Amino acid sequence: STHLSEPQLELRDFEESMQQWTSFQSKTHPLSLSLTSQLRLILTPSQSTKLSGSYRTGKRLNIKRIIPYIASSYKRDKIWMRRAIPTKRSYQILLCVDDSKSMGESSSGELALESLVMVSRALTMLEVGQIGVLGFGENTFVAHEFTEPFASHDAGAKVLQKFSFQQDYTDIQLLIRQTIERFRLARLQNTSRGSKSEDLWQLALILSDGLTPSSAHEDIRILLREAMEERIMIVFIIMDDTTTSKKDGDSNKNQSVLTLKKVRFLGNDEIKTEYYLDTFPFQYYLIVHNLEDLPGALAGLLRTWFAEVNA
Amino acid sequence: MEDTPMGQPPMAEARQIRVNFTTSSPDIQLPEGKTQLLVPADIKRYGLSRVLNSESMLDTPAPIPFDFLIDGTFLRTSLEDYLKTNGLSFESTLTLQYVRSLIPPVYEASF
Ligand SMILES: [Mg+2]
Repeated sequence: STHLSEPQLELRDFEESMQQWTSFQSKTHPLSLSLTSQLRLILTPSQSTKLSGSYRTGKRLNIKRIIPYIASSYKRDKIWMRRAIPTKRSYQILLCVDDSKSMGESSSGELALESLVMVSRALTMLEVGQIGVLGFGENTFVAHEFTEPFASHDAGAKVLQKFSFQQDYTDIQLLIRQTIERFRLARLQNTSRGSKSEDLWQLALILSDGLTPSSAHEDIRILLREAMEERIMIVFIIMDDTTTSKKDGDSNKNQSVLTLKKVRFLGNDEIKTEYYLDTFPFQYYLIVHNLEDLPGALAGLLRTWFAEVNA
Repeated sequence: MEDTPMGQPPMAEARQIRVNFTTSSPDIQLPEGKTQLLVPADIKRYGLSRVLNSESMLDTPAPIPFDFLIDGTFLRTSLEDYLKTNGLSFESTLTLQYVRSLIPPVYEASF
């Protein structure tokens, strides 16, 4: 089957999706507010982290200017550096939601949609830039374009309509490839509209149970390196709801991905088990058991990342 | 890692299926947190039996041959074929009920 053609989407009922959006929104409202205030500090820095420039007064001496200063008989006295006024950043944030069957068979699907509502609301309130939504499974599909506004219930309901967790495969490798391509295109479109591209930050948040064939992990790792070189940040949020089960009986209760192991048959008749997450290729990932964990965990991870980038 | 033996490149790794082992015999119960596993899709009864006996699972002193029931029927094909025959998805977690095999095939004496 060809991965690039978008499948015909079976849309869920609009009224039902609208109700779902409204109920998720009121349920997650306090969390959205909390995430907004935490992200505001991280995404819109109040001062530049680097000292630069040449001024008569400032915070730190610019060593390179000391010799000319002496040589000029102390006339060229702009020897100080200051923290420059920060340039305003703009963001393109792509929320990628796993639409595969494994999500629907556990409660991870519902947790992912709640998270989607919570995070997208927080980002909309922040007004930091464009928000897009991508669904993925066997194929990927656009659930919301970057260029469309996301501020209405209507837009939200239209997004939810597209998720029914019926896809028979979870191709995260394809997702990453498409994410990189979409960001490349979005950057070009942003630049052509006259925004300065160096101030544009691109961030993808993946909401998924984390399960994709182990054999693809290495190829994903290679794609992630490519993304990093293009300054695309990809955060994987593993939806790991183990508290409830849609199927009857405790025996069907999904075990946490943290303790999930995979079996390998070695050539010498040996059997080895190793943790699934041991080969998980994402450097920036967090595991969410309850929705309440998400704002703090996500903010913490983004804070770490920005600190690393600015170091 | 060095644990990939020659002639078995990593790409030979088959598709995976998530399985959940259950049993009604208390003496061969798996500890909690060990009941779920990702197994290669082409695995059959014999492979599953070996997995269950292995050190990281039941760690049996002497191998016990097992049979597996899915939805009340004995597994006689690979898991992959079972999924296909029953129109199921690789995305599903398969519940495998394991029981001591009543008539162990001869070759299993060489475990
Ligand atoms: Mg899946």
